[in-house]
Amino acid sequence: MRLFHAVRARLQLLLARRSAEARMDQEIGLHIDLESERLVREEGLDPQEARRRALAAFGGVERYKEELRDGRGLAWLGGLSLDVKLGVRMVAKYPALSLVSVLGMAVAIAIGALVFGWAAAMLDPTLPLEGGDRIVAVQTDRADTPGDFDQHVLHDFVEWRTALTTVRDLGAFQLADRNLIVERRGADRVTDVVAVAEMSAAGFRVGRVPPLKGRSLVDDDERMSGPPVLVIGEREWQRYFGGDPNIIGRTVRLGGTVHTVVGVMPEDFRFPRNHGFWVPLRLDASEYAIGAGPPIQVFGRLADGVTFEQAQAQVAAIGHRLAAEYPATHEYRRPTIVPFARTAEPTASGPEMVWLLYIFQLGASLLIVVIAANVAALVYARTAARTAEIAVRTALGASRTRVITQLFVEALVLSAAAAAVGLSLAAFALGWMQQLLMQKSQGLPFWFHLGLSPGLIAYVAGLALLGGTVVGVAPALKATGRRAYGNLQQFAARGSGMKLGPTWTALIIGQVAITVAVLPASVQYASALLQTSMRDPEYPAGEFLRARISLDREEAPPRADSAATAVHQRRFDARFASRADVLLQRLGSEPGVDAAFVSDFPEGEPHRRFEIEGDPASRNAAADVGGEKTTVLTTSSSATVGLFDLFDAPIVAGRGFVDADTAEGSTAVIVDTAFAARIPGGHVLGRRIRSVEPRRARAGNDEAGPAPWLEIVGVVADPPSTTPDPDDVALPNVYRAAAPSGLRRNDAQATSILLRLRVRNGLTPAFTRRLRDMVAATDPGFQLHDVQTDAEVLSRDVRMLRTGALAVAFATLSVLLLSAAGIYAMLSFTVAQRRREIGIRVALGADSRRIVSSIFKRASTQLGAGVAVGLILALALDRATGGMVMGHPSADTAGLRGAIALIPIVAGIVMAVGLLAALGPARRGLAVQPTEALREE
Amino acid sequence: MPPRPQSDALRGSLDLLVLKTLSLAPMHGWGISQRVQQLSEGTLEINQGSLYPALQRLEKDGLITSEWDTTDNNRRARYYRLTAAGRRALGAELESWRRFAAGLETVLRTS
Repeated sequence: MRLFHAVRARLQLLLARRSAEARMDQEIGLHIDLESERLVREEGLDPQEARRRALAAFGGVERYKEELRDGRGLAWLGGLSLDVKLGVRMVAKYPALSLVSVLGMAVAIAIGALVFGWAAAMLDPTLPLEGGDRIVAVQTDRADTPGDFDQHVLHDFVEWRTALTTVRDLGAFQLADRNLIVERRGADRVTDVVAVAEMSAAGFRVGRVPPLKGRSLVDDDERMSGPPVLVIGEREWQRYFGGDPNIIGRTVRLGGTVHTVVGVMPEDFRFPRNHGFWVPLRLDASEYAIGAGPPIQVFGRLADGVTFEQAQAQVAAIGHRLAAEYPATHEYRRPTIVPFARTAEPTASGPEMVWLLYIFQLGASLLIVVIAANVAALVYARTAARTAEIAVRTALGASRTRVITQLFVEALVLSAAAAAVGLSLAAFALGWMQQLLMQKSQGLPFWFHLGLSPGLIAYVAGLALLGGTVVGVAPALKATGRRAYGNLQQFAARGSGMKLGPTWTALIIGQVAITVAVLPASVQYASALLQTSMRDPEYPAGEFLRARISLDREEAPPRADSAATAVHQRRFDARFASRADVLLQRLGSEPGVDAAFVSDFPEGEPHRRFEIEGDPASRNAAADVGGEKTTVLTTSSSATVGLFDLFDAPIVAGRGFVDADTAEGSTAVIVDTAFAARIPGGHVLGRRIRSVEPRRARAGNDEAGPAPWLEIVGVVADPPSTTPDPDDVALPNVYRAAAPSGLRRNDAQATSILLRLRVRNGLTPAFTRRLRDMVAATDPGFQLHDVQTDAEVLSRDVRMLRTGALAVAFATLSVLLLSAAGIYAMLSFTVAQRRREIGIRVALGADSRRIVSSIFKRASTQLGAGVAVGLILALALDRATGGMVMGHPSADTAGLRGAIALIPIVAGIVMAVGLLAALGPARRGLAVQPTEALREE
Repeated sequence: MPPRPQSDALRGSLDLLVLKTLSLAPMHGWGISQRVQQLSEGTLEINQGSLYPALQRLEKDGLITSEWDTTDNNRRARYYRLTAAGRRALGAELESWRRFAAGLETVLRTS
């Protein structure tokens, strides 16, 4: 009870400080009133005298008020608000210092917060669903190939559903892309490729989110013979159906199947990845052999009161039993329970990745310490100038703690401002990154969130506290140390007794060195980025369109029977080839439209090196060239339409592709002039080349023997570069021809190839819509992904490059600013210390030039040392990174010369900035009046 | 900061006087000081300034509580009242005071 009373009294008083003060006044006032009335009544005094006596008897109202405040434990609060006020005043009084400190720390805090936000999303993903941390996935690891999962677990899933009691609402899903075809207002067919989840009804129970309209899927929907039903998301309802209030019961085509919409789910349910279309998962395990079946992913919710470990133990036990029963298929299957949020990229799952993130995080966090140490040096110079104030306060009875607290709070005001700026920067950047990621991959899971979170804010507050501690406490400890007590006698006579030791000098030199070492590289880098982003594309990028095209494999391969699967695959390939051919012809017959299917690289390696026949040196030499790009083009069966026509690139020697070149086993290749230029001996046509394994290829591939020789039948003019990256321009190209089916067979896993289109009359949204319709009309299973013009791609790249340049410039500027501020602070301090000496020298008739030069001497010594160290550092870095610092020596010599020329310029700038910073203090030194300086003695 | 010397009764005896007075009736600060003076027939006079810190300390310790009320003359005053814990504390304090006083008496009586 006593404790309760104590806590309540304190809380009340703390929470209502103002009213507590008022009540205290009232209580004491009443006491004085009553006492004076008694004096009037009993001793016959006149009211004024009575009041004076009453006050005297009370004995100093203010003193007792103070005592009462102390009793409430509020004294520090009064002091704190005073400290904060002082801190804010200090910020305003030294605007330059404050600006530099806040800016520097803000950058460090922003970087730390960015890394934290990123790491939190990667390391600690949580599902934003009720009890989302108890939603789990049952993954089947392969013990024979660590890191691999087995998804052919249909039979296991059936077994788990009955035997796994620790996980409820067990369900499974398959993911697919489907063409969405909606009949709107009679005619308008809106088609888009959408991600569809074929999911057990349990998925809706696991999420515990009620439908917005209609119903979610139910177990009965999973019957093989049930009608095709569809549940859509709120976003999709708005986007594709204009929020139609009569959506329930409408029919929609997904690929070749007509579905009836039975429900709409609210926006916060996007399970299992980021889905807005759900159809029932209809799989009959009896149709498949044990251990076979289509790939599925299994999820569920931990039963109430069950721990992770208990569920893990049970699923492992079931795994052992199945392994014993079906050793042929299940010997290496190890089912495990994992948090569902960890099952999708991008999450860090491997321990190395986790460690890497932690280390990265630590490094980013330490950045604030480095910057804060810098700021501390600045503040130290200011604190040194305030020794007198500190000494007086100490003499008047302020404890050391009290003085340190004040200096700490002042620093905290700085770091809090920096935290606010840094947090806003980080929030902005994280939001931007999230948007960029969403654009880049629609498959970003719905729980992946980059942005402000309570954890992030706490982390930033921690960084601010850390920064404040470094900035405030270190100088404060030094300023209030034992030596400082002598300052009271000193300050009247000789300014400050504090010294700036070797640490300080080292800091300045280090700062200047880093500036000199880093600045040329970053200026070079930023200007290269800017130049690149300024470059106009060399071709009418607005006329070009690119899209990935794929064919929906709506029916799964029948059984786990290899012969049947092969037949299925052949049928699929044939369908793709014939339909792609039709599509190319249709597109080609459109007025002003050229089209081609393009596939980079034939065997999965984007860059290949070539050996030239009869030139044994080329085998090695080629390896040093940096790699050529092979592009495979398709030709339609009727006409040789291809990439060359698209870009109006003329054949400069030999011939173009003919239909026969698409036949399997054809060896004809066409190279571009960049490639031709690398062939020694001049004559190119008829020379034979073959690809050699890239250096990093696995040793096992050598057994396959050398690649077949290919014959150069033509040379084509270099096509224009389609990226703003200048490194890409000079890459030589080798082109092969193939039929659409040939493109696909080379990469059976990938289901999409690139479609390139040129619309010479200019590209309109109407054409893009028409393209969708044409593609869908050719085959309802044809899907268009990532439709974008080259101009869009370029402008996005340009935006990223500009942002990069901006970030580099910003970081560079803060480094430069910090060193300038450091030099300024150091010189101010020096001048303040030497006031008396300068005064005497002026009195003795010293020439002002000599005084200025003596002030500058220290500055220029340190600057010179810094520049020298920086030059050495820059050269060492350049050597170590193979020319990264000074630019790319191999790329072109102009860049190299530019970077070398930058070094003296940068050194000059740093010197100039340093000397400019010294100007103010030097002027102040000159203005020292000898009489004043001497009187201070 | 060194503890301030008590110019009046020892701190312990001040607490005892306040608790004892409040055990008779709830009272405001001035009333307490008057009452002590009255009961001691003028021998004990509480230093009025140290009364309030003492009241606050006792309240913080949960021995007394306070609430605002109006006096007979219709003025707002803060009335202090003994809690159960205060009543127990008063018993204990009285006991130890009596022992202390008896001990003192014994020593003083020794000739």
